[in-house]
Amino acid sequence: MDRRKFLRYGLRRLAVYLLTIWGAFTIAFVFFRLIPGDPIELYYRELQAEGFSGESAVNDAAAETIRERIGIDGTIIEQYFRFMGNVIFRAEFGGSILAVGTPVRDLILRALPWTIGLLGLSVLIGWVLGVIVGGLVGWARNSPFANGLTTISIALSQVPQYIAALALLYLFAFTLAWFPVRNAYPGTVIPGFNLDFIVGVIRHGTLPALAIIIVSVSGWILSTRSLVVLILGEDYLQYAQSKGLPRGYLFTNYVLRNALLPQITALAISLGFIVNGALLIETLFSYPGLGLLLQRAVTQLDYNTIQAIVLISILSVLTANFLLDLVLPFIDPRVRTQEMG
Amino acid sequence: MTLTSLLHSRYFLIGFTLLAALALIAILEPVLVASLVGAETNPLQQGTFGIFEPPSAEHPLGTDRFGRDYATLLIIGLRFSLTIGLLAGLLSTLVGTTIGLISGYFGGRVDAVLRTFTDMVLVIPELPLLIAMATFIPTVTIPLMAVLLAAFSWPFSARTIRAQVLSMRERSYVDLARASDMNNVQIVFFEIMPNLFPFLGVSLAGSVIGAILAQFGLEIIGLGVANTMTLGVLINLTISWGAMSLGQWVLIGAPALLLILIFLALNLINIGLEQTFNPRLKGTTGT
Repeated sequence: MDRRKFLRYGLRRLAVYLLTIWGAFTIAFVFFRLIPGDPIELYYRELQAEGFSGESAVNDAAAETIRERIGIDGTIIEQYFRFMGNVIFRAEFGGSILAVGTPVRDLILRALPWTIGLLGLSVLIGWVLGVIVGGLVGWARNSPFANGLTTISIALSQVPQYIAALALLYLFAFTLAWFPVRNAYPGTVIPGFNLDFIVGVIRHGTLPALAIIIVSVSGWILSTRSLVVLILGEDYLQYAQSKGLPRGYLFTNYVLRNALLPQITALAISLGFIVNGALLIETLFSYPGLGLLLQRAVTQLDYNTIQAIVLISILSVLTANFLLDLVLPFIDPRVRTQEMG
Repeated sequence: MTLTSLLHSRYFLIGFTLLAALALIAILEPVLVASLVGAETNPLQQGTFGIFEPPSAEHPLGTDRFGRDYATLLIIGLRFSLTIGLLAGLLSTLVGTTIGLISGYFGGRVDAVLRTFTDMVLVIPELPLLIAMATFIPTVTIPLMAVLLAAFSWPFSARTIRAQVLSMRERSYVDLARASDMNNVQIVFFEIMPNLFPFLGVSLAGSVIGAILAQFGLEIIGLGVANTMTLGVLINLTISWGAMSLGQWVLIGAPALLLILIFLALNLINIGLEQTFNPRLKGTTGT
């Protein structure tokens, strides 16, 4: 591949990426400011409900101080420029109400590895399994076993991950007590590179990961199967078959190879959406990732933390798409000729 | 290809029957609830019956920790889950179809602008933003919830409809209509719309699934429509009072199963529609 052409293509994609970040962040900013009701007012009422006995109305000066601290003072235009400047150029999300004195950025950085580890790995495992099994099911589409597997997948793919997690949690943690109920590692071990910690992390991650894998595998099986069945009807495959190529070679180099391309795109999209998917599973297992952080921020009405998590979730989708764009020319000849020719 | 050919699709028939049964239960909610707990009793009132009563003739699913008949709660939950899902789904399909129609029919610069906007909304993960909005809005009512849910789910319909209109625009019957002096509005409504019906069905079913799922996500976090019993609220409540450690699996399993049945029914309808009306996919989604 021509290096100069790839560079020009990459730069163009980068420009689109940055532009979309700006656009999506602006939409998010507008949505946040459109929310009726004043977060300060709401926070004050929450404090009163918890038994805080202060003045009956929000003190103007105090409210203004809090507004300044979380960055919602001044006109909407001022707010917009300050918001963009802080977020985009300094990755600064402001202070947190949840943990006073800790910047929201630190809370996010602490939670992010757990989410990426649990969700990223589960999504990948689910994809690899699903594409292989789905390919085989499509290849042998007339066998009763393959059809049975398809039917099971149709049913399983409609189970929300959270409900699958509930079932696993009930069965394997509460009833059989094979796996722990919550947290990411036992409270008795010291986090670090030691065997106890690693074993603990694996044991604690098994159930949430399994819930994600079971549901996502069935989805990948169905989509790969449809792709494979379409490929089986193509002329080039019949031609290859008539040349007398061995069946195994046909399956890997013709069928799977062509089904893989759209599935790699789909994988990148799912990886981008992990922050979206993490939310519920993490709250169920008290898994210390972004989902749990968001739930805690919601109960504390922590404006900046909530806003930061929304932005991170948008950023992860866009970044996954951008990385996919960079990889595509290497695996898809059509992109090479159309976009870079 | 007429609508009656749908009746040959096993997927569609099973899905449709299942959905009709669930909808019937939801519609008959007042009658069913009255027959279960009596017309005078408020079914949500705590302490009406004993707590944790096992399933019996009087209480088909037993009672919960607050002494409420669980089958009743389930029927009420089903009704509101379906209502909110359908309302949001209709709204989302309406917005998405309008945008998809304009985008696909007029093409050119209009299409470019609308498509960019659609793609932007599509990359925004809906759940975090929905959670953020639901947190700071003082009281979320059912119509407001439907609007919030639809605000993020319309791009799905817009894309489906746009792709269809794009191909229909070039068909000869549209050319014929143009040649016979029909204006754009007439062409869209009389020539293109009727052919869109199956895809409207796909969009609607997909949007309803998305809406109920997103709403479920909110309710698991403890947000959602104020003072309304839905299946998600029921699951969240049941978990938060510790049904798991108490071994009350029926109380978690029953609402979960109902949710899965709703999703399954809608998805089977979609598979049936796609199989019947998308010839390229014929024979690909199973038997």
